[in-house]
Amino acid sequence: MKKYIFWTIERALLLFVSLIVLFPIFWMFLTSLKQPRDAYSISLNFQPTLENFAKVFADPWNLGSMVMNSVIVAGVTVLISVPCASLAAYSFSRFRVKGRKTLFFLVLSTQFIPAVVIVLPFFLMFRSLGLLDTRIALIIVNLAIVTPFVIWMIKGFIDAIPVDSEEAAMIDGASRLRVIRDIVLPMAAPGILTSSIFCFILTWNEFLFSLILTRRDAVTLPVGLVSFRTERGDLWELMSAAGVMITVPIFIMAMIIQKHFTRGMTAGAIK
Amino acid sequence: MQDRFLSYALLIPAFVIVLATTIYPLAYSFITSFREWDLTRQRRPGDFLGFDNYVHAIAEAGFQNSLWVTIIFVITSVVLTLVLAMSLALLLRRKGPLHTFTRIILILPFAMSPALIGVSYRFMFNPEFGVLAVGLGAIFPSLKGTPWLADPDLAMAILVATDVWHWTPYMTFMCLGGLASIPRETEEAARIDGASGFRIIWEIVLPQMKGVLLVTAILKTIFALKMFDQVVTLTGGGPGTSTETLAYFVFNVGFKWYDMGYASALAWILTLIMMLISAWYVRMLLSDNIKETA
Repeated sequence: MKKYIFWTIERALLLFVSLIVLFPIFWMFLTSLKQPRDAYSISLNFQPTLENFAKVFADPWNLGSMVMNSVIVAGVTVLISVPCASLAAYSFSRFRVKGRKTLFFLVLSTQFIPAVVIVLPFFLMFRSLGLLDTRIALIIVNLAIVTPFVIWMIKGFIDAIPVDSEEAAMIDGASRLRVIRDIVLPMAAPGILTSSIFCFILTWNEFLFSLILTRRDAVTLPVGLVSFRTERGDLWELMSAAGVMITVPIFIMAMIIQKHFTRGMTAGAIK
Repeated sequence: MQDRFLSYALLIPAFVIVLATTIYPLAYSFITSFREWDLTRQRRPGDFLGFDNYVHAIAEAGFQNSLWVTIIFVITSVVLTLVLAMSLALLLRRKGPLHTFTRIILILPFAMSPALIGVSYRFMFNPEFGVLAVGLGAIFPSLKGTPWLADPDLAMAILVATDVWHWTPYMTFMCLGGLASIPRETEEAARIDGASGFRIIWEIVLPQMKGVLLVTAILKTIFALKMFDQVVTLTGGGPGTSTETLAYFVFNVGFKWYDMGYASALAWILTLIMMLISAWYVRMLLSDNIKETA
């Protein structure tokens, strides 16, 4: 009997947690399908429409260009930071050189610097270089946030790969670079993919840099959300449609790395 | 010999990035923090003022308010997130279809853009047509017509709620990782001896989780100190200045008033606070590593 009560409570709690997690997301998806008049009521009885998605992609919102900005900024940031971080992570993981700990400490601690500190000088610099409101500016500042984090994560994955096969190959006369390319990279591939997706998510969701450094041309999706606050009030149904556009690609990616997620995160953070 | 060269060579690309994107701006804003530089009047940085900007900050009501707001925010959000994450991890440790399902969907809040979370909570707490405001009003009649985000304390509570919603999943995964690494034998033995589930958790599991919980707490503290996105999209710092966190205050000084010198000084105060906490954290990480390899 006691066991049965406990069983029920446990299930009930889990259902409650799932409800809290899913409800705000569910409500956003639902609102994105509502006509303006229905968005201002909580009734579930409404005629669903895809109009909002057509609207946000048309003038004056032009969500399409923000999607492009977000994809390019996040994509290029990943393409630059992940290869560089992978090499550094290998070095941190395998070589016992002097000053390694200090260097690693330095790299790690930069991760804890508030973004608002970094963005001030960059704002001034980009202003004098005429780079404000460009994607390049966003990519440069995003590298600051993402690179130390990716080094940390990939190092966790490389640490988990046994060194034996590397040593064996080197005894057979393979060079260190070949070992990295032919043995370490393939084995670390799932970890590197996970880190890449992580890095993509971080950049995709980044808000502060884009808010400060862009005005019109290089605005990314999260900042685009703010533009649905108009003099006529908040256009919730359009905001929700834009929200769905921000969320769906990221949710798909998050699901892809779901299995590795826990391992990557905890490996990086706890070790 | 070749390895030694390579070990540094491999570090160079990443190190150049880190140097250019963090060390350089840090140094730049450090110098700016000692100067007068009002962008609305001066194109180039002005005179050196010594510690004037810092002294100004400490005396200013706006800064004191944002410091206070940040302290309250950090404490409530860290405590709530940690308690919830640990409890949830204990729940999710068992196996079952519902457990697996919860674990899978738990990644969603973490992947969601914080700015969007702020927007969607603002929508849900709109007093006229927000689903949570109306729903809560229907269940608890005394809450009917509560002007959620127009009330300083409630606005802060909702701001904390968005942050807890966003971060609890990540912290739960960290706790689950910690739980997976502690040996089960002592627990089993205690269970056979007839100890209650509650006592087992309190006296056997939690003490072994101390390290993980400490790491989680520090990480969460650092994230909470940076709180910015939801302040912009949920409350705009308001009502009044009741939810103006430090990061938001720096943003206002720098990009609404364009006082670069003062903003840099404020930013550096925030950095110093975070540096202290993270230095402690990284030292702990490294000492753990040493123990592991020893």
